[in-house]
Amino acid sequence: MKSWRLWHFTAASATLLFALWAAISAFGLVNSLFLPGPGLFVSSFADLLLNGYKGYSLPEHVGISLLRVALGFGTGAVAGTLLGLGMGMAPVFDAFAAPFIEFLRPLPQLAYLVLLIVWFGIGETSKVVLLFLTALPVAAIAARDGVRNVPRERIQVARALGANPVQILLHVVFPSALPEIFIGARLAVGIVYATLIAAEIIAGSNGIGWLIFDAGRFLRSDYVFVGVLLIGLMGLGLDLALRTLERWIVHWAGR
Amino acid sequence: MRTRNQIGRRPIIAAGLGLGAAIGLGRYARAATPTEVRVGYFVETKPTMIAKSLDWFADAVKAKIIWREMSSGAEINTGIAAGGLDFGLAIGSSPVAAGIAQGLGYELIGMVDNIGPAEEMTVRTAANITKPSDFIGKKIATPFGSTSHFRLMGFLALNHLSQSQVTVLDLSAEQIVAAWKRGDIDAAYVWSPAKAEILADGGNVYETYKELDAAGYVIADLIVVSKSFARRYPDAVTGFLSAYGKALDLYVSDPDKAAAIVGKAAGVSTAVAKANLAEYDFVSLKDQLSAEWLGPPGQPGKFAEVLHGAAEFLVQQKSIRSAPDLAAFGKAINTTYLAKALG
Amino acid sequence: MLSVLLALGAWQAIVVAGFVPSALVPPPTAVWSAFVDILHNGYRDTTLAEDLGATLGRALAGFGLGTLFGVPFGLWMGIDRRAAAALGWIVQFMRPLPPLSFLVLLILWLGLGEASKIALLTMTAFPIAVSASQAAVRGVSVQWIAAARSLGATPRQVFCHVVLPASLPMIFTGLSIALAATFSTVVAAELLAADDGLGWMVLSASKFLRNDIIMVGIVLLGLTGMALSRLLMFLDGQVVHWRGRA
Repeated sequence: MKSWRLWHFTAASATLLFALWAAISAFGLVNSLFLPGPGLFVSSFADLLLNGYKGYSLPEHVGISLLRVALGFGTGAVAGTLLGLGMGMAPVFDAFAAPFIEFLRPLPQLAYLVLLIVWFGIGETSKVVLLFLTALPVAAIAARDGVRNVPRERIQVARALGANPVQILLHVVFPSALPEIFIGARLAVGIVYATLIAAEIIAGSNGIGWLIFDAGRFLRSDYVFVGVLLIGLMGLGLDLALRTLERWIVHWAGR
Repeated sequence: MRTRNQIGRRPIIAAGLGLGAAIGLGRYARAATPTEVRVGYFVETKPTMIAKSLDWFADAVKAKIIWREMSSGAEINTGIAAGGLDFGLAIGSSPVAAGIAQGLGYELIGMVDNIGPAEEMTVRTAANITKPSDFIGKKIATPFGSTSHFRLMGFLALNHLSQSQVTVLDLSAEQIVAAWKRGDIDAAYVWSPAKAEILADGGNVYETYKELDAAGYVIADLIVVSKSFARRYPDAVTGFLSAYGKALDLYVSDPDKAAAIVGKAAGVSTAVAKANLAEYDFVSLKDQLSAEWLGPPGQPGKFAEVLHGAAEFLVQQKSIRSAPDLAAFGKAINTTYLAKALG
Repeated sequence: MLSVLLALGAWQAIVVAGFVPSALVPPPTAVWSAFVDILHNGYRDTTLAEDLGATLGRALAGFGLGTLFGVPFGLWMGIDRRAAAALGWIVQFMRPLPPLSFLVLLILWLGLGEASKIALLTMTAFPIAVSASQAAVRGVSVQWIAAARSLGATPRQVFCHVVLPASLPMIFTGLSIALAATFSTVVAAELLAADDGLGWMVLSASKFLRNDIIMVGIVLLGLTGMALSRLLMFLDGQVVHWRGRA
């Protein structure tokens, strides 16, 4: 057992899972409408790569979705962080804004989809706004908690040394809160991805979320599985990118 | 082919969970009366709602009916594939074509209506659309996967309009109303109440159905039953159809009374219900047995070709993987129950 | 409170002034009368209490099951690096998956009843609970564990008296996120084959273009989600009374 390294466990579990999948499909235990086998999965994947899906190539579907996620998450995380910093610094502002943030955070996106169409139309705006509204409260709460957890002494010392509020925010509070802000950002990415289908349902004709939804309508489980795999990988990729950025920036911030 | 061979087999997970129910049903199997019947339906303004709200269906199948409200035909397909539904009531012909092609274990036993002008293109009056080429550069919305979508695609194909010339958007019926009020779309192919709503808000009808029906793009709402249920409880299937026939008779003989019942069941006024009912062509059970529609038992009518055509179109659209030949669609139509219901 | 009143006032003013059509966005007064109507007469054969109860029940069942399986699983992965190597990637892969992507599959596997709905919500809560618990255990100070060991504590004692108490605050933070995520999925769970629940009410009302009822549903969903978050925060304060003192 000593010779087993950690990645051996990863490889072993992956192999086991694959073998199970292959066996289920090989013995015909489950209808392929319910669980497409590895062979069908690979051929459908190749088909999507070569011929695209309903007018768009697979890279286009992926790229469009990534762009929407980047825009929605990017704007939502920045706005949310600013809002959260303000809420953490000024209790009055917190009392004012907190009810809306707390109301918005668990609110199911599907419930207000029609309202977004009414306000922002059926173009890209409403899709990005939905993702923005999803990322915003998560980032705001993380930033607020980050600020609240900054040791009071540090702020008092900075104040005693004659720092003005802006300096305190920029040089004391923000750097100290950064780790929690990043935890919030990574959470927000996961949740924004999970909302991608809801966003792309709006007058969709492209995007990986719409592909999954459209294929699911006709029980095309093979395409659904390909789409799910792609979204999972995209999520892992973006999470990795954020973690790298976090290590780099938090290091730079002198922690 | 492989897929079709596997269809009869129940997935192990569903089978495991259904075991309890199966044991329960097994005890009554000899009496050939089900303990409960699960029906997927839509809340809509059709005579089906008469038989539902007056419990005629339940009386005819001699069992408790579990009514499951659905939001699309695709959902009924999913429900039957999952073993969660016995009947699909008033499911559109496009999803039925997809279901038969995918080998879902159900058969087509009757019709509710020939959709005709009830689903139709509505264009914004201000957009000044009077001929097919006027649609170039315009945005048309429709709920994808529906019978309306099928019709719209047929309209574009017949008039040689490519999808690069016309933008076709996937919006649900209520989203179409919102997008219309904002002025985001120029036209929509949809049913009422969404259709009525946008017609009243600066829209007018652009008639396509006659041309499309003539070209074979017929759309209809149908009644399907899971094969395993029908095999076990043939009398219940016959009873189900006769209950619908009774409701249709009431509508024909007393449209005002029918509209009042339907309106109450669907949550709309009697006047709205009456107007909606008038849009549909409810084919009588007797006419359904003619070669024009489903055909007499053993001799599938023209409708098999309609389903076959719809399935081939869905394959082109990549919505389903493959479609079987015409004979398979004929086989999926079983009008023996319908003939029996007519006595 | 003041901010909420101001927002309500602004909402009413915007609609009355005609910036948005009142047919699409009803003013607060119309929403209130729809609420009163549903409260007394119910919505399509269900009472408001039934809908609220159904939604709450599903959300709590999904969250509860996700926590019940997720927390021990995450603790195990936090302690045993081999378990984390073998299973961590599956959890990380599950986390960003949209619930709507496996909704149809769950229905195919589990049928149209409550099982598929609760499974959907469980699958939303589970990976978040796992990740938070795993990260919490990893974050426990190594010195504490070493100190406890040198004082002669058994592995079991180390876990019960050092690791678990030290990781509870972060686990609770993770659970509050899991709860919010689960609740925001509840409408998706009621999208297919439901005949009760607040999500079903909103979706069904939108089919009939009853925008006042949609707004009632949105407000109730938001308030319910908020109340659940508050409840969890209260529990957090009761259970983890040592938060911030370690």
